[in-house]
Amino acid sequence: MPEIFIDGVAVAAKDGQTVMEAARDAGVYIPGFCWHPQLSVAGNCRLCMVEVEGETGGWMDIACNMPATRGMKVLTNSPRVRERRKVMLEMVLLNHPVDCGVCDKAGECMLQDYHYEHNGAPSVSTVPKVRATKFHDLSSRILLDNERCVLCSRCVRFTREVSRSHALGIVARGDHSLVRCDEKRSLDDDPYSDNVVDICPVGALLSRRFLYKSRVWYLQKTPSVCPGCERGCTIDLWHRKAEWRLNALDARHNTAIERVTPRENPAVNGPWICNKARDLPDLLERARAEGPMLKGRRVAMAEALAAARQLVEAARRPVALVSSWGSNEELAAAHAALAGRFRCHVKADHAPRPGERLADDLLIRPDKNPNGRRARELFGEAPPALEGADLVLAWGEGFDFADVPRGARTILLNAFLAPENGHADAFFATTLQTERAGHYTNFAGTVSAFTPICPAAPHTVDAEAVFAALAVRPRVSA
Amino acid sequence: MSGRPPPARAPYVRRRYWNEPEMGWWERAYLFEILRGLVITGGVFLRNMGKWVTGRKGALTTYYPEETRPDYARHNRGKHVLTQRPDGRPQCVACNMCATVCPAKVIEIEAAFDPDDPAHHKYPSRFEIDYSRCVFCGLCVEACPEDAIRMEKEVPDLPSHDRLRMWLGREELLTWKPASDVAKPYGPKHG
Repeated sequence: MPEIFIDGVAVAAKDGQTVMEAARDAGVYIPGFCWHPQLSVAGNCRLCMVEVEGETGGWMDIACNMPATRGMKVLTNSPRVRERRKVMLEMVLLNHPVDCGVCDKAGECMLQDYHYEHNGAPSVSTVPKVRATKFHDLSSRILLDNERCVLCSRCVRFTREVSRSHALGIVARGDHSLVRCDEKRSLDDDPYSDNVVDICPVGALLSRRFLYKSRVWYLQKTPSVCPGCERGCTIDLWHRKAEWRLNALDARHNTAIERVTPRENPAVNGPWICNKARDLPDLLERARAEGPMLKGRRVAMAEALAAARQLVEAARRPVALVSSWGSNEELAAAHAALAGRFRCHVKADHAPRPGERLADDLLIRPDKNPNGRRARELFGEAPPALEGADLVLAWGEGFDFADVPRGARTILLNAFLAPENGHADAFFATTLQTERAGHYTNFAGTVSAFTPICPAAPHTVDAEAVFAALAVRPRVSA
Repeated sequence: MSGRPPPARAPYVRRRYWNEPEMGWWERAYLFEILRGLVITGGVFLRNMGKWVTGRKGALTTYYPEETRPDYARHNRGKHVLTQRPDGRPQCVACNMCATVCPAKVIEIEAAFDPDDPAHHKYPSRFEIDYSRCVFCGLCVEACPEDAIRMEKEVPDLPSHDRLRMWLGREELLTWKPASDVAKPYGPKHG
């Protein structure tokens, strides 16, 4: 445990830590483009330069690559350090297009922040700026603006060290250096490719999904959990702030998920998520079921609840198929209300899509449902079996009416519009994960919370409320 | 030095205001001055009334919206215009600076991507201003980095009983194409 001094304050560094890591642990921020806590040290941006005091005047070195040694006295904000940072930023800015007005990263750009803090002067170049490719297609999801790129190589190291697709590299030298795709590999095959957009310190890597959709200061982030697989990655859903509500433009933007970013959580996903989570809007913003129905006829909620209750009361051998997309709270409500009366099975709402990666050693897990573990804990491992049932209560998607025994009545709960919704004797439109709060338990037992981002759609009901209304005491067998 | 007495407190003096009323006995008597005021307003009223009943125009009221005035001050801030490039497309790059600075939050811009124009790849596909809430402060004009939004002298002619109909869109704002302009030369580099 070497004790070092950062700006005169004694800090206990861990063995093998660099000065950068020791400073971050002590809450001292040292700027830098290329250093990332999860990636290897590249040491190419030279922005984390710090001064080390010594008896013969000391020296300057980069904090990200300097091991902390006993008694080292580091200055992170001395006049010499600030001067060096200014010079480094001058060099980065020489050929930078400074098109923050049309750059999606503006507002969360490291270059913008550092420039405000340390430099503030326009480019000192006396010759025309070097032009480079704008909007180079790195993949079907990611655009690259080479003029904005600072060549920190974070994206290259990400594809080599984290996602291991080895899809990116840097070609040519000096002013002509460009981040490019490997000729033999494609970034499209990398299911984690969108993380490079997040870790890009500037606006060089752009997500096509988010391109020019919104300025980031119009958005707020709400913690949520990705329901894409049983990993249950913690994510942030970015949606429009209430004070920036749109009146004339498409009102869907007021409640839509504009983008999805990882929410750092060392217990589950670290700072990464896969592309399926980025595409959550496609999954969650599908057409919604319109409201409660009895055999396809729209009715009031009270009428549908009464009819469903009659079905439950009349049933002799009811079976419930429990959704593995239900939150812990909903599953508990289902267990309290149904378990005594129904034979309960856990249903896999979503099967892997064709071509989807099933599992890997980073994040992706084979079960494509978020809460299967908790559901199986409560309702048992037995696979769904409907033989002999005279009432089937199916909750969630992935339910096939062909499996229903002849003559059996059906109660269906689904959030999305589907043709089979009308086949059910009683149908309820349920709320979505983005409309209510709750928790998911992931495959390893870690519980993560999600919070609503918009009010519930009209004529929808929480599954908990339906289960509470259907709680009929078990029939006493004579 | 410890025995120093506390500083003497200045006597309280009532603060006098610049517009303190100074009334003589005549004004204090109240009734005469009230009657004098009634005579002035009543005189103006009767004079206007007399003009109206004889078919002439009395008071200076402008009967908006049937009547508008041509004599706006030179620097009056009225309806917004989006300036155009020589090919007629808007100068605006949809950076949302105007919408962000707007104190009434009346500007809404939908940005779009144009991959065929590398110098102007972001443009507004929609640009909406709500004149029912606009306070005509001109901050949008000041904030614009591209000189893409300016204000005319004339106010927008949008009286309506329905707030929702007081929006102007992109095409209604793209009304001015500067061929030459003192404030900013529109040379070939903006083509």
